[in-house]
Amino acid sequence: MCTCLQGAERRGARDAGGVALTPPRGEDYSGARARFSRDCAHKSLNPKLIRELQNLLGRDAVLFAREDLLLYEYDGSVEIARPECVVFPSSTREVSEIMRLAKRYETPLVGRGAGTGLSGGALPRAGGIVAVFSRMNRILEIDAESRRAVVQPGVVNLDITRAVEHLGLYFAPDPSSQKSCTIGGNVSENAGGPHTLAYGVTTNHVTGLEIVLPDDGRVVRIGGKTAEPLGYDLTGLMVGSEGTLAIVTEITVRLSRKPEAVKTLLAVYDAVDDATESVVEITRRGITPAACEMLDGWTLRTVEDFVHAGFPRDCAAVLLLEVEGLAEAAEEQAAEISEVCRAHGAREVRLARDARERDLLWKGRKNAFGAIGRLSPSYYVLDGVIPRTRLPATLRRIEEIGRAYGFRIGNIFHAGDGNLHPLILFDPRNAGEFERVVAAAREIIQYCIAMGGALTGEHGVGMEKNELMPLMFTPEDLALMARVRDAFNPDALLNPQKILPLGKGCGELRVLPQTAASALPA
Amino acid sequence: MSENLLSETQLARLEQLLGAARTVTDPASLTAYEVDGMLPAAAVRPADAAEVAELVRAAAAEKLAVIPCSGRSKLSIGGVPARYDVALDLSALNRLVSYDPGDLTLSVEPGVRIQDLQRELGQHGQFLPLEVAFSDRATVGGAIATNAYSPLRAHFGSARDFVLGMEFVTGLGEIAKSGGRVVKNVTGYDLHKLLIGSLGTLAVITRVHFRTFPRPAERRVFTAAFDKARAAHEFCRAVAASPLEPRAIEMLNPGAAEISGLAAQAAADARAWRVVIAAAGSAAVVGRHARDLERMAREAGAANFEAWSGADAAKPLRAIREFVRLALERSASAVILRIAVLPASAAALAENLAVIAGAHDLDAALAVGSAGSAGTGYVALWPRSESRADAVTDEAQASFASAVKELLEAAGSGGAPARAFVECCPTALKRRISLWGAAREDFELMQRVKKIFDPHGVLAPGRYCGGL
Repeated sequence: MCTCLQGAERRGARDAGGVALTPPRGEDYSGARARFSRDCAHKSLNPKLIRELQNLLGRDAVLFAREDLLLYEYDGSVEIARPECVVFPSSTREVSEIMRLAKRYETPLVGRGAGTGLSGGALPRAGGIVAVFSRMNRILEIDAESRRAVVQPGVVNLDITRAVEHLGLYFAPDPSSQKSCTIGGNVSENAGGPHTLAYGVTTNHVTGLEIVLPDDGRVVRIGGKTAEPLGYDLTGLMVGSEGTLAIVTEITVRLSRKPEAVKTLLAVYDAVDDATESVVEITRRGITPAACEMLDGWTLRTVEDFVHAGFPRDCAAVLLLEVEGLAEAAEEQAAEISEVCRAHGAREVRLARDARERDLLWKGRKNAFGAIGRLSPSYYVLDGVIPRTRLPATLRRIEEIGRAYGFRIGNIFHAGDGNLHPLILFDPRNAGEFERVVAAAREIIQYCIAMGGALTGEHGVGMEKNELMPLMFTPEDLALMARVRDAFNPDALLNPQKILPLGKGCGELRVLPQTAASALPA
Repeated sequence: MSENLLSETQLARLEQLLGAARTVTDPASLTAYEVDGMLPAAAVRPADAAEVAELVRAAAAEKLAVIPCSGRSKLSIGGVPARYDVALDLSALNRLVSYDPGDLTLSVEPGVRIQDLQRELGQHGQFLPLEVAFSDRATVGGAIATNAYSPLRAHFGSARDFVLGMEFVTGLGEIAKSGGRVVKNVTGYDLHKLLIGSLGTLAVITRVHFRTFPRPAERRVFTAAFDKARAAHEFCRAVAASPLEPRAIEMLNPGAAEISGLAAQAAADARAWRVVIAAAGSAAVVGRHARDLERMAREAGAANFEAWSGADAAKPLRAIREFVRLALERSASAVILRIAVLPASAAALAENLAVIAGAHDLDAALAVGSAGSAGTGYVALWPRSESRADAVTDEAQASFASAVKELLEAAGSGGAPARAFVECCPTALKRRISLWGAAREDFELMQRVKKIFDPHGVLAPGRYCGGL
């Protein structure tokens, strides 16, 4: 059966190829990039459409010169796709009008926040218009008593917390990029972060949306301030739909109350297995830390050289743990975690003495990718999920895969919820190296899924993993998802060629072929 | 009671699929599957998702309407079915498919009774935060399909926050799934969220993946009594603004305290408003709640403050969990509304309720959870005078209908609109009032969703908002 391929996606598809886990065959990485640039360079929008966009938004809100567009062909992933035009709407009405124009000119439209996404979600894979939400960055309402804020999509994640912290409130989802990423992007990708272990990801903190529908530019409000949806939970469907069903123009978020006490611990290990076994035991005992992050020794040293957070340079792994809540609860949980870690071979468990020490530890964690970027010409951050009890075996397997392919793989991830971020360092200038990265990455992801895990925990599917969807979903699952997509986005104008496999034929829908090193263990 | 007839060939087809033993057609047995006075022509009892899919395909081919059920404790929820031919009884899909206590994850079939499941989880020191009505009969499928009210949602959120994924059968008879079995996952569309609370109108749930939670070392429940709604509300606000982390916090009006038996048990005025708070955790954490809550209750002018521990601790929470059952026991013609109200307007709603109910000669019970976040809860209305208890007279119906309308309007007005829908009421009244309040702007999108999942209207037609 081939039903998941039918419909609008195919009709709207323009061949733009793809990189990362769906590599262009027979070309190395640099070749792929060059090919992309060529492909995109010759495309240009209908001049009439550009004029209409200028009339609508003003000249300063429409970019179409090649040198301007170059800035928008990247996001935080290893993907690349250049828009033909970039627009900066200032209001929901303008977004609606842009959508109508895109429809009239049969031109793809992709929303973009800060471009920090890690799966190519904000890249215009089929060209067309990119709408950047930086001018829609107002916090419209703060309702402290109901613990809600109504915000525009261009508001930076951390700015929500900054706006409400004087009220003792904060916005819980905290992706590492929270100083720059926007809430619109968070909603599209259903972003996570270290503290989602205890508090849930973006979808658990969004109660209502204003959306613009792709078929006619109509503006509709779904959900609301109250916690209970009345009617089908359309908000739950929209959050994490990666901008493929509608454009979000306003978001009602749930605010959380700051805990009375926070304790941050750093457990230091001489063996990776001891660290992962500690995580398994913490989970098994039913302790729910607010965060439970792991950094392996190599990553730690790299981070330490850059951030000087005071991480020990000579260890095999650390766990960065945080407990929050009532003073009594935080005290007890910190003691219990400390005991578990020591019992599992931690040579030292440090407790951050004050807010400064705590901030320093987190600075190390949140700037880790930047630190690694100093070392290697390029790196590829994976995102996979496993059941937490499989952590020790999975890290050993990742290490083996890295050795087999000859790559250094760093590990810095959300251990508490089994959300791995193996980080593969490579040099795209070496012929064939990117293809081997892709092969290694695919093996790791396949292993995660074989363990009962998931393809992505927080980065999204985007154009990075859409061809891997059959690893998790049957053709019937995907066909239903495609029908949902087509019902909202019938002409595939909105963020085309994302999430679902493009599948140019039934053969390609099947699970991707096994690669080099070894097949999956049974 | 209206009866439904299937043709001989239609019946034969159903029997052929599952065999006569799992196809019930005799009228006496079918009364157990009554929905709003309608009986199906057959009840079928599939054993797995594949059989569910076959049955739904057969029903679609024969243009039959199917209502999924299992514990049958919540079949009174929803509009009068547009058609009802076959009861799809999922009670044989009652397996615990996998449970990994170390990962705190669980996969179960819809027919598993919540009580049995909690017992199993309890053996591993865990539980699911589904404290729902009719707990002796309620099943996982029903609790999810109705998004059943649980007082623990103040702390744990509702099903959408701890359901990780689902497998289900669409109205086209396709077996599909979304989400996964791990606690963090953003792969693909979260289709399962659409099924939560959809009353079986989109798909038949055949498997649910949950995250489970560790049982606390100690639990204690506190009740505080107040003379006025405003004082009770102020107390709730103070608790919400404090660092305390209660598992449940519910405000009950005197009517709710009366039907729940709390009014008789607690040493306070029978006409008092009550706030019920559940705390859980270590001895130190529960002790802190006890101290702080007592102080805050005193400061808010509570007439009485009591702590319930041990076996008694379950009593006040049970009263809230079983609100619907208790209201129906009080009056079979009770109208029960599920409400969602912002904390800022909870007190206003409570006062409106008293005025509106009084004007229509009705008694009212209200239980609303309001822990810091937007509150949700129940309102029940029933006739004051016994002579009208049957609620079948035109006059009584008209009075109910306008009370509900006024209440929905009052709840939906102002800067902080509340939402409400009628979860339960006599069938005769269902035909007279709009259960779901005014039509909303997203209704057209809901129609699209229905069309994707169940284009032929096989699944529970007419039961959901706007007759979906």
